[in-house]
Order: sequence, then structure tokens, then C-alpha cells
Amino acid sequence: MESPNILWKPVPSPAWLAALSYMWCNMIGVDDEVSGEPVGRVLGTADATPLQFWTAVTPGSYLQLDDVVVTRRELPDREPVTIAGVVTQVRARHEGAQFDSDVFAIADGTLPALVQEAAEITTTRVDPELYVPPAPGARVLRASGEARDAALHFDRMERRVPMGTGRDGVPVFLNADFLDGTRGAHVSISGISGVATKTSFATFLLYSVFRSGALGGDAVNAKALIFNVKGEDLLFLDHPNLKLDERTTAAYAHLGLPATAFPDVRVYAPPRPGDSSGAPDVNSRLTGVDSFYWTLEEFCADRLLPYVFADADDERQQYTMVVHSVTAHLARHALPADGGVSVDGVRLGSYGDLVDHVVEQLTDDATRMTWAGSAVNMGTVNAFARRLIGSKKDLARLIRGDLATRRPHAINTAESAQVTVVDLHNLPDRAQRFVVGVTLKTEFERKEKQGTAKPLLFVVLDELNKYAPREGSSPIKEVLLDIAERGRSLGVILIGAQQTASEVERRIVTNSAIRVVGRLDPAEASRPEYGFLPQVMRQRALLARPGTMFVNQPDIPVPLCVEFPFPAWATRHSEAGAPPSASLRSIVQGADPFAVVGGGGGSPDDDIPF
Amino acid sequence: MTARLFVDAWDPAYGASLEGGNGADGPVTPSTAQIQPDVELPAAQWRPLDPAPGVTCPDVVLLVDGVRRIDAGLWTAEDDGSSYAGLAASYAAGVVRCDLRRGAAELAGARVERGLFTASPSAEDVVAGTIRYTLRRVSGTGEASKLPAAVQGPLTALEVEVSGAARDGADLLVVDGPLRNRRQLPRTIGYVKTQHSQYLPPALTQVVTSLTAGQRTPVFGLGTAWGGWSWYLRLPGRAGAPWAGIVRVECSPDLDVPEAVSLAQLSQAALPRFASSAYKDPRAPQNLVPIAGLERRLRGLLGDARLLHRALTAATSAGR
Repeated sequence: MESPNILWKPVPSPAWLAALSYMWCNMIGVDDEVSGEPVGRVLGTADATPLQFWTAVTPGSYLQLDDVVVTRRELPDREPVTIAGVVTQVRARHEGAQFDSDVFAIADGTLPALVQEAAEITTTRVDPELYVPPAPGARVLRASGEARDAALHFDRMERRVPMGTGRDGVPVFLNADFLDGTRGAHVSISGISGVATKTSFATFLLYSVFRSGALGGDAVNAKALIFNVKGEDLLFLDHPNLKLDERTTAAYAHLGLPATAFPDVRVYAPPRPGDSSGAPDVNSRLTGVDSFYWTLEEFCADRLLPYVFADADDERQQYTMVVHSVTAHLARHALPADGGVSVDGVRLGSYGDLVDHVVEQLTDDATRMTWAGSAVNMGTVNAFARRLIGSKKDLARLIRGDLATRRPHAINTAESAQVTVVDLHNLPDRAQRFVVGVTLKTEFERKEKQGTAKPLLFVVLDELNKYAPREGSSPIKEVLLDIAERGRSLGVILIGAQQTASEVERRIVTNSAIRVVGRLDPAEASRPEYGFLPQVMRQRALLARPGTMFVNQPDIPVPLCVEFPFPAWATRHSEAGAPPSASLRSIVQGADPFAVVGGGGGSPDDDIPF
Repeated sequence: MTARLFVDAWDPAYGASLEGGNGADGPVTPSTAQIQPDVELPAAQWRPLDPAPGVTCPDVVLLVDGVRRIDAGLWTAEDDGSSYAGLAASYAAGVVRCDLRRGAAELAGARVERGLFTASPSAEDVVAGTIRYTLRRVSGTGEASKLPAAVQGPLTALEVEVSGAARDGADLLVVDGPLRNRRQLPRTIGYVKTQHSQYLPPALTQVVTSLTAGQRTPVFGLGTAWGGWSWYLRLPGRAGAPWAGIVRVECSPDLDVPEAVSLAQLSQAALPRFASSAYKDPRAPQNLVPIAGLERRLRGLLGDARLLHRALTAATSAGR
């Protein structure tokens, strides 16, 4: 097995030996000698262990947190072990000082002392896998190039998604295998609101996935579903950012990414309340927004009623029985009637009508049995009715009987653009839950029927603690749990964000292969959900700046500190450049062709006959 | 009225700052040395002298000190059945360069040596692990009790060597202990912490005990074997016993009187600044801060005593 790369040498050496040493050189990515700039030596005054050791920093050099270093341990009769790691703590102290006040004498120039810096290294890779401690006194080198890639396991990643730069300004990568479901899926992002830039990181990650080429051909067909819960931040993903400067462009280029807006975005917004034309309720974005809603017919046929209730699956609640029997009754007996539905011969043209009818039927002794079954007492019925009536105000604009049935109004990522943004920020809490629950259920069921993981669907959902709280049970939480547990094989990837991971259903957090932390609340940082962060990183997370995230991925034993660039797309109206030409398309669509002919509640006979 | 009592500032383990006295009496052993008090001022006019106006502390002060440690006591077995005592000692000397303007005190030079001190005619160097104890043959019978004193010679030589090497335009060189054979070094003062002998007559001693912090006595000539110009200085510290904080400073007899006086004034400006505080140093204030720091560093350089003792034990038993 003579390798063609080895030059012929006059001294004969066994071919296997040459091949072995050749392989070994490639394996750790360094030459015979560990290469790099020497920065210190392994300390002998503190224990050096295979997984953690301290390094004294050579005077004139420095090590900062997150720097990557490498050292070597010679072994008798074996190849040397290369130990690579990341700096997780640095300290400086006066050697020769005994008392705190000695610092004044030292600064005064009367007491001789030495400033000695030391760095704690947490091992990330041992090659070959012989867990021996580095020898005190061994040279420690700053790793760069291939040695750095090897230390951070980037060399083993077949498909790498750039997610920003490390503290040393060199790109750091995410293993795409743990993102697209090959070996793991789902991302959990935690951090306090405002400074943690959770949504920005989620969108940047999506952008990187779509544009880096790491997913190959899959990236073209992959879709993203983004729920916009706060402000109109995410409605401008397809607008270039006016504040984009050369430095940011260079930062994108450094990561191998173009600095552009998302090319293919479709925005959905709920209809304006009280507007019979169903125009989308947005303030700043004027073009390229479609409204979404559900017709009463869909509401009944698709059994969407449970999603109206926050705790409809909670077994402790008596009224859930009524919810399910009413849902079944509606699915069985509601007939489509010109946009609305007809139940028991009564035409219902709006959600309010439907609620009133259901409540009326339930309170009537004669009909209650057929709607709610026999074993239901009046108290339970009242509990259901109270909640249902309460939902009227919130959901009336989303569940419609007055708009043309054929008008496109459903959110369907398969037929939508690459990125689908669903705007929820104007909706009350109950309506937000309804939209998220129903949309995810529909998408998940569609993927289930499809049966293949490809094309991938990335779902970005902020405030996960609202939709999948740790306590209780609800249809929405069930959908999210389904995604977390089975989504990996079905190609549904959840990118969930929350202020506090401790308040999110544990099974969702534990199923996330990739965990990201931005700035944390001090009380939150000490919770066991962040056990993957070493102590020092937890402290750092308390003062992380916007744009700095700590990313933990299964490949690398230490979370990496990542700075991701400023978005190349607009994040608010004032930043937005010219709208892309594609968004003009929906200006035409915005004027409903059916509305011209048939109007709001027109008869199907009035439709254009094709 | 009973006499006032004072607790000596020094840790009892180091003895007292006045050997043989209890602090109130001053140095007990009267010296037979001739002194010339009329050098700077006539004896009749002796009084505590305040710092001379215009004399400021020099920017760079070098301080030299050495430390020694007995690593092990040894016995030789000679061919004729006799035995000699031996001493394996480590000793180090170093220089601190206090750059007061820059605010940096650094080790300007340090050397460590190890020696095997014995009178045995057949002894050789001892190699203990990676350490070599060079043979230093002691003349005479070489009783065990006299060996520790034998270490002082090589140590002083080492101190002279490092202080000569580190001398680069410094304004003042302070040598720990009497000058003795280091008098040829320029602008050098010897700094004596412990007062063994009472050189001055009682009338002049009163001037010493009445010094306040920062004051000094006039320069006087000392007629001992090594001789030289000398003066007493009180360092700032906790007010206490009459002799608390008193040090004797000396300079080379080769200097003329004005030179000696200017050195005395310089020492008066420089040394109080280096005085240590009682809670940090068991020999405060006489043990100067840079010297204390230097000694710690030098002790660190000597290596671990237990380790060396073990290495010596292993090396000597292996030879058997």
C-alpha cells in the first residue's frame, strides 16, 4: 500500500510504517512537530488532568478565553499524544506577594514581584485517544489553521454550516449532521429578551443553512416557517439592509456567505379586525403581504376547535370531554354553505354565529345530548360555554365565513416561498396559540403523509415557553412534542427560542441537538438546564453582548463562543431598502380577483366560470 | 517608678534586633573599637539630624542579599575508619533593582550554588539527581558546629559577584549586612539590621535612642578591623522600645568625609521608604521590603528542601 504521496527514499523503510505516519499526520492535521506560536507551558503547581489543565503564559504572550491551544505528550514506545483544548479561564497574579496590600509596594517599585498569567484549558480533543495528562513543563502552542480545525473537530465535519466567528476572528462551524436530522436535529436558543438576539441568531442560522451550500441540493428545496411574535421585525427579511456597511459585508465574505437579504420570502398576516375585505393587518410593510385565515368549513372539517383552548388536553379538566364531542359533532354535521357552514339547517356566517349556535344548542335540554353526550352535567357545559364565548373576540378575525372560499388563505410551506413568515404580533395570546398550533399541526401532518424527510422544513418559533410550558398539557404542546420527538425523521426541524429554557417542556429541550445561549438572567443561568455550560461560561453569559452566543453541539465537548454578523437584511422598517421585485407580485394578488366579481358573501354562481 | 516595658517588634524566632539586650538597654556588648565621633559634627554637638533638604530618594536603588539553607548533614566514612562531618548547603544571592520612578522592582540577577562543606580529604562532589553539590573543602578539623559558618564565605563571594554584575548606573547599592570585603563597590552602603555591639559612648548613645523616625545620627568613624564610616538611622515603624527600628549603616572608609556624609543623607532619604510593616514581616521594620521579597524569591530558587534531602539520601545510599 505504497502511497503515491510519499517520495522515494534511499533508506528502505517498511511501507506500512510510512503509511502509518502519513495517516497520523493527516489525522491530527499537524506535521511531525506540533506547529504554532508557543504561548506557554503546562503548569506544575496545579493538577494537570487529561480533561483539564492549567498553562502558565510566557511573559510577552497572552491567552484569552476561547483561544485554541495544543500541546503534546511523549509516551514511551508509542506515538505521541496530541492534546488540544480551549481556554476556559485566565488569571493573572503577583507572584512573590503575600498580602493584598503588597500590590502597593510592588506598584511603588519597592517589592520585587512577577506578574504571572495562567490559563485553564479544557480539553476538546485527544489524538490518539489515550487519556494521559499533559506533562507539566510541556510547551503549549496557539493552534491555528488545521490544528485549530482539528481541535474543534471541524475537520471531522463533512458538512459545515458557518455560524459566526470565534473570539479569535476565525470562523466557527456547526455540524450540519446535527441540524438536518442525519444524526440529530432541533435548535434550542435561550436568553433574555432584547439583548440576547435570539431571533437574529435563528434567522442568521437559517440564512447560513440556505446560503452556505452545506446542505447541497437540499438547501434549494428546504423551506422555513417563521413565526413573527414581536413587532414587525421579521417582515423585512427580503429587504436589503440600508445600514449594511463594508465591514459587515467582509464579515459575511469571511464566513463564505454573500451579504444579501433572503431571496424568496412570503409574508402572511392576519386579516385586519372588522375589515370585511380580509386585508392583511400590517403597518409598516405595504407590499407582498398575504392575509391568512381559516374558513368555518375548514374549522369544522379539520377539527380545529381544541386549538381554541389552552388546556383542552388536560385530563384534570372536565370540560375537555365536551370539547372533543362538540368537535366531532361539528366535523360530522357541518355542511359547507357559501363560505360559511350550515349546521342542523342553520346557516352560520361567522365565528361568532358558530359560537352562539353551539352554546344555544348545549344549553337547550333537548339538544344537549346530541352535542355533548349524556353523561355531562350542566356545570361542565357552562365551563365549556364560558371559555368558548370568551374566544369570540380573539378568533373572529381568523375564522371567517364571509370571505370567498377559493381565495388563497392557507399557510402551506410546500406551495409557498422558501421562507414563510407568519405574523402574529398583532394577535392576542389565544389567537397566537391557535395559529401556531393549527399551522404546525397542518404542516406536520402534511410531512407525515409525505413520508420523507426531504425537503426539510425549519420552524422558527420564539417564546416556546408559551406554547410548550413545562406544566400542563394542550394540543399545541402535543404538536410541538411530536415535532421534537419525531420531527427529526420527518424532516421538521424546530428552531425554538425562549427566555428561560427551564420553563419549557423538558422533552423538547433535551431533544435539541444544538443548544444556544445568549445573555442569561443570573437566576436562570444557575438552573440545571444549562448544565452544558461550564461555570465560567455561565458567568460570561450574564454579560454576553448582543451578537454573542454560546453554542453547544454534540461533536464538541465545550460550548463555543460565537459572534455572528449584523443581519444583511432589514430588521425594521427604517432599515429596509427597496422591496424586492418579487414582492410586487402580490400587490396584484392583494386585490382579490374573486372579491371583484363575487364580493364578500356572493353566491358561487357569480364566480368566473373557469 | 518601674521601667517602661516594650515588646520587641521582631519575631522571637529571629532573636532580637539587639543581640543580648532586652530592647530597653540597647546593645549590651560594649565594643572595644575606637570610634571617631567628630567626623560630621563635634561630639559635643551631636544631635538627631533631620533629612537634608534637597536630597531626594534616588530613582534606582539596588539591594543585594543572599540566603542559605542547610539541605542535609552528612558523615563521611574514611578508609582509616575515621569520620568527618559534612554539610550539603544551598545558597543563593540576588539583586533587586527598584526603579522607583517607573514603579517596578525586578530581580536584576540571581545565582544559586550548592556546596558540600567538609574537611574530609577524600570527599568528592555529590550528584543528587540533576543537582550537583560542589565540594568545598574546609580547612582544619571541620567539626560539625563550625561548618555552617563556612557557608558564609562562598555566599558573600556570590553576593559580590551578582552585585558587580547588576551594577548599571544605579544611584545607590544597598548591601545586606556589613560591607566587609565589598567596600570597593562604588556608591554602596552596608545595612546592619541587628545591633550586636555598643560602639558609642553612653552620652552619644542617648542621641541614638532619641532619634525619631527618619532621623539619623551624625557620621562617625569606626575603628574595627574592617573600619569605615557609619551612622545610625531610625526607620519608621511602630513607636516602641528605644532601639526599635534603629539600623546601622556604613560605607567604605576609602571615601572622604563629604562623600560619606552625602551617602548618609542619601540613605536617610532612601531607606525609610523601604521599611516593612510589622504584621507582614517578623523583622519589621529593619528587614526592608525589597530584601524580604528578594529572600522569598531566592528561597524559591533554592528548590524544595524535602526533595533535595530525599535526593541526597538516595544519591548517597546508591553509592554504597
